[in-house]
Amino acid sequence: MNDYLKELISSGLRSHDRGNFDYREIKIKSDVIKTAEGSADVSIGDTRVLVGIKLDVDEPMPDKPDEGNLITSAELLPLASPDFEPGPPNPESIELARVVDRALRSAEAIDMKSLFIEENKVWSVFVDIYVLNYDGNLFDASLLAAMTALMKTKKPIYKDNKVIRENLNEYLKVNNIVVSTTFAKIGDILILDPTGEEESIMNARYTIANDGNNIRAIQKGLYGSFKEEEIDNMVEISFKKYNELKLLIENATK
Amino acid sequence: MEKPQLIVNGLRLDGRKPDELRPIKIETDIIKNASGSAYMEWGNNKVIAAVYGPKEALPKHTGDPEKAIVKCVYSMTPFSSLEEHGRSGPNRRAIEISKVTKEVFENIILVENFPRSEIDIFIEILQADGGTRAAGITAAAVALATSGIPMRDIPYAVSAGRVGDTVIIDLNKLEDNYSDADMPVAIAPRNNEILLMQMDGGLTREQFKKALEMIKNAGKVITKIQREAIKKPYEDLINKYGAKYE
Amino acid sequence: MKIVLPGDEILDRPIHMENTFVENNKTYTAVLAMLHDDKLIPLEGLWYPKVGDKVVGRVEEDKFSIYEIDLNGPYSGLLISKFVKSPLLVGDIIEATVKEIDRYNTIILYKSRKLYGGKLISVKPSKIPRIIGRNNTMLKQLIEGTKCNISVGANGYIWIKGNNIHLAIKAITKIAKEAHTGGLTNRISDMLGVKNGETTTNS
Repeated sequence: MNDYLKELISSGLRSHDRGNFDYREIKIKSDVIKTAEGSADVSIGDTRVLVGIKLDVDEPMPDKPDEGNLITSAELLPLASPDFEPGPPNPESIELARVVDRALRSAEAIDMKSLFIEENKVWSVFVDIYVLNYDGNLFDASLLAAMTALMKTKKPIYKDNKVIRENLNEYLKVNNIVVSTTFAKIGDILILDPTGEEESIMNARYTIANDGNNIRAIQKGLYGSFKEEEIDNMVEISFKKYNELKLLIENATK
Repeated sequence: MEKPQLIVNGLRLDGRKPDELRPIKIETDIIKNASGSAYMEWGNNKVIAAVYGPKEALPKHTGDPEKAIVKCVYSMTPFSSLEEHGRSGPNRRAIEISKVTKEVFENIILVENFPRSEIDIFIEILQADGGTRAAGITAAAVALATSGIPMRDIPYAVSAGRVGDTVIIDLNKLEDNYSDADMPVAIAPRNNEILLMQMDGGLTREQFKKALEMIKNAGKVITKIQREAIKKPYEDLINKYGAKYE
Repeated sequence: MKIVLPGDEILDRPIHMENTFVENNKTYTAVLAMLHDDKLIPLEGLWYPKVGDKVVGRVEEDKFSIYEIDLNGPYSGLLISKFVKSPLLVGDIIEATVKEIDRYNTIILYKSRKLYGGKLISVKPSKIPRIIGRNNTMLKQLIEGTKCNISVGANGYIWIKGNNIHLAIKAITKIAKEAHTGGLTNRISDMLGVKNGETTTNS
């Protein structure tokens, strides 16, 4: 561990106005992109993520002929950080997309049966996560944005083999609100909602998604390890944060 | 779909006159990590531009020992169009736009001041409604002006076109799809130097001249909006605290 | 006093200064700046290395006889190892002086001193003069008010060490944001609880 890190830990990792388990200021706006069927713009501190939702008519998966599809992808835009390179999706963006996808899918956030149109035709819901500015904790920002966008997503109309996207009235059926809480481990210290700088010195990361009742997804990241007591602590904090985060989503989607 | 009547009683479908621009709003400093950035709404277009650098050109062999190299990436999100979900990754149109956009900024950035380095310009189209390359260039010029990277001028861009016998300015998506000519142009306003010009369709020489004149007139409006956006954060603080005199 | 934008004419005769260019015997600003009495004060601008500039940087590579120093820009500083008192490791923070520059902007450094512990932050180089202040007044105020060691590099890196790093960063951020306004020195002294060079409150 280098000098700077030791000093930072001993002097208290964060400034006096932010505790180890406090979120930075969270701002959520929905319906920001009119060309998308649903959208949301979320900032946690200086981290900023935009999510756009599009629905297209598709074939169902062979094992679930009466359900729609969910396809989640993420872009770490090069404009969001000097460390993001242009090119095909890298492991970080793939991991981000897959974790958000698992949280939404496991929590059954979207009513997948409501996406059924007719035999061999269902709606595919495309969730596109676009990172606009990176300052740590992309997981929580992305899931908040995805959840908010889905709650205000309008379903297109399928008529006479055509998709109509204007003058929509029906909302996508959302059954459950799922949020995530992401922790960083620096030395032996756990902190919630790491900034970019904190992520650059963390040795492990832990994300828990929950819907208030159940844990719906977990992702541990990086080379470090967690003890069981640490995990118990993080799970408890995650459930404590649920109502706070759920309220922010509800206020943005009234 | 049959071709719609784009001009009825001298007015366009969105109520504009042939030489009227859509409303433009610009806000700066929205991407904290970038050297300079801007968010722009131009009609129903929503665009983000960000500039990084100058930084070391990598890989090293791509650097130029005499000057900075300029790279540009223009891309559209898959949810930016009113139609179906777009495909990811740059398509050929985006690659061409990235190239001609880069050529605008290679001209006005004082690249000789930074040998062996690289300046990156990113343009992301979040919501598209025609004229996105012009919007991107206009926004990127603002982002660059706030970055401290030295430049000779602040370029603007706008498209002109033709519907029947009428030359129009600033085509939206519908007009773009059905017009008889489409011509995006970028200009460095100080000396009216043309830094980008593309065209397809058909224009007589008179129509071409008329289009350029309309573009320059529109340029006066666009330049004013760009300049106000660039100055705003500084002027706001000066209004609050007064200016510093050395 | 007015705000000028890149491409605006500032003098009707050719003068070669930093952040400007000459065209048709007139001088134009190349950056966003304030123009006051024919003097150009950049609001946004980069660091143009000059011999004698004091810089702060981080060791990024150790190449046998040379250390490459990250200077927050496109150019690394080169420090010749045999002139460095004790060996440096990658990640170490140093302050140094610019000894030589060639036309490709290769920067040779000397008179280096390792800075132990502390934290490195980055600000836009155009704000550095205001952070130092005339006759070092602003910097002295920062050091007094935060009781931190602070080393400011012309290249935009600032090293801070002490118990009040967060307060120092907050003050420096405010100075950078309001660098072009009046009354800043007093607002910063109020923020830090410093008056006439003496601390009046516990910050």
